[in-house]
Amino acid sequence: MSGMRDLCWWLVFAMTAVVMQALFPGLDVFVAGLLILLQERDYKNMLWLVPLFILLQEGMGTRLFGGTVLLYMTTAVFFRLGQWLFEVESFLFVVLLSAALIVPYYALDWLMAPLQNLAFNMDDTLDKCLFQALFLPCAWRAFTLTRRWTKNDEAAA
Amino acid sequence: MSFRRILVLAGILLILFLGMYTWNQRTRMLDDLAANVGLELTGAVLAPLRALQDSTREFWQRYFDLVNVREENRRLKTRLEDLEARLEAHGESLAELERLRQLVDLPGDPGWKPVGARVLAGRMGPNAVLSSIVINRGYVTGGRPNTPVITNKGLVGRILRASPHTANALLLTDPGSRVAVAAQTSRAFGILTGRGSGRPLEVNFVRRDASIKQGDILITAGLDQKFPKGIPAARVVSVAPSDYTQFLAVEAEPLVDLHHLEEVVLLEPTGIVRLPDEPDDAPAEFVGPPAPPKKAAP
Repeated sequence: MSGMRDLCWWLVFAMTAVVMQALFPGLDVFVAGLLILLQERDYKNMLWLVPLFILLQEGMGTRLFGGTVLLYMTTAVFFRLGQWLFEVESFLFVVLLSAALIVPYYALDWLMAPLQNLAFNMDDTLDKCLFQALFLPCAWRAFTLTRRWTKNDEAAA
Repeated sequence: MSFRRILVLAGILLILFLGMYTWNQRTRMLDDLAANVGLELTGAVLAPLRALQDSTREFWQRYFDLVNVREENRRLKTRLEDLEARLEAHGESLAELERLRQLVDLPGDPGWKPVGARVLAGRMGPNAVLSSIVINRGYVTGGRPNTPVITNKGLVGRILRASPHTANALLLTDPGSRVAVAAQTSRAFGILTGRGSGRPLEVNFVRRDASIKQGDILITAGLDQKFPKGIPAARVVSVAPSDYTQFLAVEAEPLVDLHHLEEVVLLEPTGIVRLPDEPDDAPAEFVGPPAPPKKAAP
């Protein structure tokens, strides 16, 4: 039962993320899901969810394939590094991780622009990264609160 | 896991990534996969929501229509009287236009078939770095890459990448957009180039002796073979001699409000090529602004 709830939660999460990304251009909502997967060490779901997130993100984007892969790899590396110093499920850790992720988000745009012959606007990119850094802790908080519903059965057992 | 092992792992992953990136750049297999799966799923999620949004809006509007129907009826009657008077005044001009059209028998372009599409979203996600929109037509429903996108007001852009039922369209304002255009009155040619959202478009390579002026409408020249000839694309906002080149520095603005697009029309190439001396008995399908209504018989 819990497995089914979990699956439903992730499907609803993916749909919510698509809709939110349609409403807020440039935002990455799927990274909140990746963070939850890393925190829960849910490697089974990670096997199908991370490729799904990457395909969705790359499919709706206009750059050549690869940016999201690099971004999510960096997120995982930052998470592992932060694990030594912080309690990974704390809000403070997520705030610091979001702030640290400004660097790879900015670097990726800066790196991909000459590689793919794209225009690079420093101000727009910085605005996008800052908005993402402010958004991620709030989204993570909201999603983890709803995530508790899927864990009720396990807690009762 | 020690710090050194994490660094080694990160290094290996980076090398694998670079390998994947260069392989994909050559074959485009991952791009196609992402478009076919990711873009298609995005369209599948957004299309029903957009339909729901439209029905809710329609319901709400109908409700307000009912509430305000008396007031609106009164206004519409006044407007109708005004329009009837205007129609009467312009009737002769319309009839003349119709006669002239028949006289000249301007051929339409059978090489392009118009297909309607709904806009699902604007830019989506951190990878959407180009000025673009997502529409509900894909390569099996008339939205193949490079298909021109227009509205009744003018040119919007072209399809950039497509999945079976969803596509990304590149807007005129994107710095990567290039369209061969000509001024409607003076026929001065140039290349319309985007400079990013919120910034005016640039018309490059306009000769210094061209008699182009502020307010001129730029239409597609059809020279690039990507867009049909004669679609209104932009309006000239400034003309000045360039300080750096031998051409004029011309700025223009799109005729279409690209921030508030809801429906667009795709001009799907039919593959029919009209030869200049080809005899044509049947009246050609007119692609472009709607023809004026026929005058009612007395």
